[in-house]
Amino acid sequence: MSLFWSVIRQLAEIEAMATSKKVITRDEWEKKLNDVKIRKEDMNKLVMNFLVTEGYVDAAEKFRMESGTEPDIDLATITDRMAVKKAVQSGNVEDAIEKVNDLNPEILDTNPQLFFHLQQQRLIELIRNGKVKEALEFAQEELAPRGEENQSFLEELERTVALLAFEDVKNSPVSDLLDISQRLKTASEVNAAILTSQSHEKDPKLPNLLRMLLWAQNQLDEKAAYPRITDLFTATLEDPAI
Amino acid sequence: MVNESEGGQQEKDLVGSYFLELWRSKSKRAALSHTKDVEMMKLDDEGEELEEEEEPVPTELDTLNSSGGFSIVLPNKLSVQYPSVNLHGHDVGVVQANHPAPVKRLLYYFEIFVKNAGARGQIAIGFTTEGFHMRRQPGWEANSFGYHGDDGLLYRGQGKGEAFGPTYSTGDVVGGGINYTSNEFFFTKNGQVVGTVEKDVKGRLYPTVAVHSQSEEVVVNFGKDPFIFDIKVYEATFRAKQQEVIEKMVIPQTASYGIVRSYLQHYGYEETLNVFDEASQTSVPPITGIHDNGFDEYGVYALNHRKILRKLIKDGQIDEAFGKLREWYPDTVQDDTSAICVMLHCQKFIELIRVGQLEEAVDYGRSHLVKFYNFKEYEDIVKDTVGLMAYEDPKKSSVGYLLEDSQRENIADAVNALILSTNPQVKGQTSWLHSYLERLLKQLTACILEKRLSNGNQGEAFHLRRVLLANNI
Repeated sequence: MSLFWSVIRQLAEIEAMATSKKVITRDEWEKKLNDVKIRKEDMNKLVMNFLVTEGYVDAAEKFRMESGTEPDIDLATITDRMAVKKAVQSGNVEDAIEKVNDLNPEILDTNPQLFFHLQQQRLIELIRNGKVKEALEFAQEELAPRGEENQSFLEELERTVALLAFEDVKNSPVSDLLDISQRLKTASEVNAAILTSQSHEKDPKLPNLLRMLLWAQNQLDEKAAYPRITDLFTATLEDPAI
Repeated sequence: MVNESEGGQQEKDLVGSYFLELWRSKSKRAALSHTKDVEMMKLDDEGEELEEEEEPVPTELDTLNSSGGFSIVLPNKLSVQYPSVNLHGHDVGVVQANHPAPVKRLLYYFEIFVKNAGARGQIAIGFTTEGFHMRRQPGWEANSFGYHGDDGLLYRGQGKGEAFGPTYSTGDVVGGGINYTSNEFFFTKNGQVVGTVEKDVKGRLYPTVAVHSQSEEVVVNFGKDPFIFDIKVYEATFRAKQQEVIEKMVIPQTASYGIVRSYLQHYGYEETLNVFDEASQTSVPPITGIHDNGFDEYGVYALNHRKILRKLIKDGQIDEAFGKLREWYPDTVQDDTSAICVMLHCQKFIELIRVGQLEEAVDYGRSHLVKFYNFKEYEDIVKDTVGLMAYEDPKKSSVGYLLEDSQRENIADAVNALILSTNPQVKGQTSWLHSYLERLLKQLTACILEKRLSNGNQGEAFHLRRVLLANNI
């Protein structure tokens, strides 16, 4: 280490002491890290949970073989779930609804909001494909009655049919509905509902643990200066901040 | 100039001692659970990692350190009565629990049932420190806290109380608790939270009750009976609030993908990696910033070799694995008495036992294992291994852990690490020993432990296992 950096570091330590913050050097911290035991099988489970929840069915199958980790859900159900998700993502909403009902009719029965959003997506697809007459019929017969049950449904419906009013939809205030992100939003809503119906968490655990790491580091910042990890991709320890 | 062979030796030693230690930790756990009966083992499986958190908990009232003649603790040690007529403020009947409230957790809670409010209902529930003056109400003295029944006030450290909650009397159930994360006391009445107050005291606190007028009687419940207050819901609500804060933290969108990917690379799960890459190609934007850090080069080093060796070991083909190592990385297995070779020889023996080739096992033991008895550092694992022969059904024996999948995985991980250590790019570092995922999880655990340490060691630790078991639908 150059003299410059060691001086900077000393200054940092002095300053930290002045604010009565404890300073934990890299050596001390690494010792503490070494004392922490993380079990391999638990990490495997964490990775499996990610693959399964995110729907990487083939990878989950391979991972089961390569690591001997059992998935916490029947892998066959992932295939079905991903088929539904894919159908929504590619605009085949009718197909998706049918698939969900094949999987478990209760999902839509007990989840009126999800059902409405799927129907809304169906309407959006009809409009996208220029089927004006069909779209109007569908809106009036299928969606409007649902709107009576729920005020927010009605507002969303009105916003959606507004797509028909604009000749240049791309520059209209409702253009977001035609965006691919609207499909993804609906797809992830169905995905979550299916997972919940299978008594499975709708989000993988790993991202939450990463958020927890950032949070825990912030918490500890108040008490001590210590080597942090800011780059999650490389997990590199950085020297205590100045 | 670094001596090549010497440098390599250090890394080999590191790999050896690291994975031997992992082997030992499994052996110890196996021995521990074997001495308990089957019923206990089941419990253990889920709770074992939390063992270190075990602390004595209050179970009954302390009959020795109580206020002499001013309180009578009934023989069940869970009821307290005020026997006489009170005269002044220094004849309070105070009783502490037999242990301080445990601290290495999120919450502590206990309840009292007011059986008889007596002449004036001067009952109190609260927390006091070890040296508490046992003739005074909790809350009246420094470092003590009490919620009083006659006026509903909260007292903390002085004779004057502050507005807090309702009064309580005969027939009421009142609870007192500590939240170590928010650093607060909370009190309840008949199943409802009355209020919370900052816990501005460090050190151990005893659950404490006090009676102070004729015929007052209180029954304490330290958790032997179900609480009236739903502490589980309270805990869940608090955790959900914490979770909301955590969810506000922003992580790069592709962080999880990147970490899973590097994990698969690190351990040589190549087939999974390939399928994973194929599937995520369409859905995940390219991960940026990785190539700048030599991440990929490190991860793909000898990937295919590591995958092949892992598969051989997972399939129990130890001779073949040895053969490949001799062919590809002759240096690593040159010394037959190195930890890695000893582990592989033991594994070979284990595989022979698994398929019931006992005679071959005996021969192999004589020719390859017996000599390791002279090495103190290998003695225990060799003993465990050879011990398999003693049992008709070795799976159910105290060394049955050797036949589990995790044993093969550990050996495969050791060989994987050994190969990673031969990467000339990582010479002199030890970063290759742990995957990025492991390093992040270690950092998380260490941060939470360190924070707890700064808080007088109060609060719960982080356990990956607990996260894995929790199903937060």
